Amino acid sequence: MTAQTLRRPGVDERLRVLKGRKLRKPSVAPWMFMVLIAIVAFLGLGFARTSLDRSAFELAELNKGIAEQSALNEQLRLEVARLENPARIAPLADEMGLVIPSDTHQLLVNLDVPSPVVAEADHDGANQ
Amino acid sequence: MAVSGTRSPRSTAAKARMALIGLVVVAAWLGMGYRLFEIQVVRAEELAEQGLSQRLVTREMAPQRGKIYDRNGNLLAMTVESKSLFVVPDQVTEPLWVAQQIGGLLGVDSETLYERITSDRDFVYIKRQVDGVLAEEILAEGMAGVFAHPEPTRIYPAGSVASHVTGFVNIDGDGQEGLELVYEDELRGVPGHAEYERDIAGRVIPQGYTNIVPAVPGTDLLTTIDLPLQYQAQESCLSALELTGAESCWAVVLSVETGEVLALVGAPVFDPETRQTLDPSCVGSDDPVACRMFANFAVRGIYEPGSTQKMITFAAALEENEVQVGTVISDVDDELELLEGACRSGNDDVHGCYVDFDEHETEDMTVAEIFTRSSNVGTIRVAETLGQARLVEYIEKFGLGETTGIDYSVEAPGILRFDPGCQTCWASAAIGYSVAVTPLQMAAAYAAIGNDGVWMTPHIVRSKVDSDGATEVARVETRQVVSPATALLMRELLASVVENGTGRNGAVDGYRVGGKTGTANKLGDDGRYTEETRASFVGMAPINDPEVVVAVVIDAPEHDYRTGGLSAAPVFSEIMEQALHRLGVSPDGRER
Repeated sequence: MTAQTLRRPGVDERLRVLKGRKLRKPSVAPWMFMVLIAIVAFLGLGFARTSLDRSAFELAELNKGIAEQSALNEQLRLEVARLENPARIAPLADEMGLVIPSDTHQLLVNLDVPSPVVAEADHDGANQ
Repeated sequence: MAVSGTRSPRSTAAKARMALIGLVVVAAWLGMGYRLFEIQVVRAEELAEQGLSQRLVTREMAPQRGKIYDRNGNLLAMTVESKSLFVVPDQVTEPLWVAQQIGGLLGVDSETLYERITSDRDFVYIKRQVDGVLAEEILAEGMAGVFAHPEPTRIYPAGSVASHVTGFVNIDGDGQEGLELVYEDELRGVPGHAEYERDIAGRVIPQGYTNIVPAVPGTDLLTTIDLPLQYQAQESCLSALELTGAESCWAVVLSVETGEVLALVGAPVFDPETRQTLDPSCVGSDDPVACRMFANFAVRGIYEPGSTQKMITFAAALEENEVQVGTVISDVDDELELLEGACRSGNDDVHGCYVDFDEHETEDMTVAEIFTRSSNVGTIRVAETLGQARLVEYIEKFGLGETTGIDYSVEAPGILRFDPGCQTCWASAAIGYSVAVTPLQMAAAYAAIGNDGVWMTPHIVRSKVDSDGATEVARVETRQVVSPATALLMRELLASVVENGTGRNGAVDGYRVGGKTGTANKLGDDGRYTEETRASFVGMAPINDPEVVVAVVIDAPEHDYRTGGLSAAPVFSEIMEQALHRLGVSPDGRER
């Protein structure tokens, strides 16, 4: 009968004890942190999206306001133009006794005679 | 304990039911899975497009039509937003009440409106382009079935004053006449469009798909028209119509140095917004053409100019050195028979007999006297020295017989065409018959004399300003027609007409004015001359250095005002005086 080395049952000889290393339970903190980041990112994105939407609505309102003010401005320009229409003003001026000057009076000055005052007043030689 | 080898029937049935339910559940899941796959994968693109098309809205953005200004920046035409009211008849619950309410507010006949509201149509306009405030008032009544949509409206703040310049647009905003027609492409602008997604409430989805191509506003036109002068010229014309009983009055005011049209006036006038004539005699007429509602005679109407044409004849003879101002033409009678027997024939179809307006003895007259007294016979004698070919050459040089090139709609070229074999056409042309011109052509011809012999293209638009602010200035063609020396001589001759001749009524206090009267009988429908005339006056001031040319044509004045000196010259005087004052031209010292 051949003699055999007896092994202790249940013991793997490849396993050995290493000094200085402790078996630790896996930490949940990183996972918690990542989950937290994900939640913050989700909430942040939602908030950003809401903010953008709100800004877009505000922008739309501002554009609408600009359009309304532009339209009002155009209306006012139109009103000014109508008020400045000579066909409207002339009858009113007529009622007030105003008339278009039928003649202009101009003083013609002879530039041959040296006169510094006249020279400064009008180089064309005519003062109104 | 012994177990039986056989199963109970109840147990078998339960298992079968369970298997069936399981099968159904699995089949349902498989069905849903397949549907999900079909929606998400197989038809994903198609369904996404369908969804987008339901949310996506495309709106055309109408461009703002360009504005039209006068030379001082006064608005002549602009576009504002208005409302067009409409009803959906099916939704109107109280048609009679709606018709009465709206009809009263809008000035629309209630009965007609009621008929339209109760029609079987899906959509009926009540009135287009209603003032926004009024439309809001109507909508505030909350009448069922009554709606409004925005629509641009063209407004002309100067009313009828510049109507013959601006022209008008139709109800859809397309140019139909005047500058609105000529510059339609520039004024209209380029439409834009906006694509965007909207939610179920019709609101824009902020982060949705958007594609906006903005509309490009139309180009603004800065015209050469001076609005106050335009108004004063129009008033002068309207007064002349009242005084002389004429059918119409037309006036052109040109700047001599630039060729700019300072005023372009026609009477009767029309309202460009309503496109209705303002001539009382035409109210209710079904024939707008007969009532001269829109036709601008100053640019597209032709007439035989009569004696105003003599300016060209004399300028040509002086330029060609055939005569001098002091040259004496001997034995000038008041009647000239170029074709034998023409003056003895009572038949108007026989041409060749020319008479002076005023009878006079046969006498020797200088060239200056002939011009001042507007002698037809003397003028033909002067033209004889030129011959037909050279006379026609100068008529063409002065721009008659072809369009001036003004930037206005449908300009008439006039008529300068002699029948082959016509022996007397040159003589008729020398005194303003057998040719047809527009008032604008005559004004431009006289402006050449005022501008030292340089003819210049008349133009109404000084510059165009597009939406980017880029400005395009009008280009003007020029050509030397006669020498400055000849132009100077002609100006003196024109001045003598106003100071001593037929044009005394054209004088202006404080200024030395030159001009020429014209009176031409009108052709009747049968081709024969009638007693009706076209009276005209064309002149310039101040004569030593002209700044303004005014041409006035009065159509068919009453007999007492039948000549240019009696009817057109006073209108010329009024307009010229206002023009000189508006331009700040210094008087040159002559009192009337």
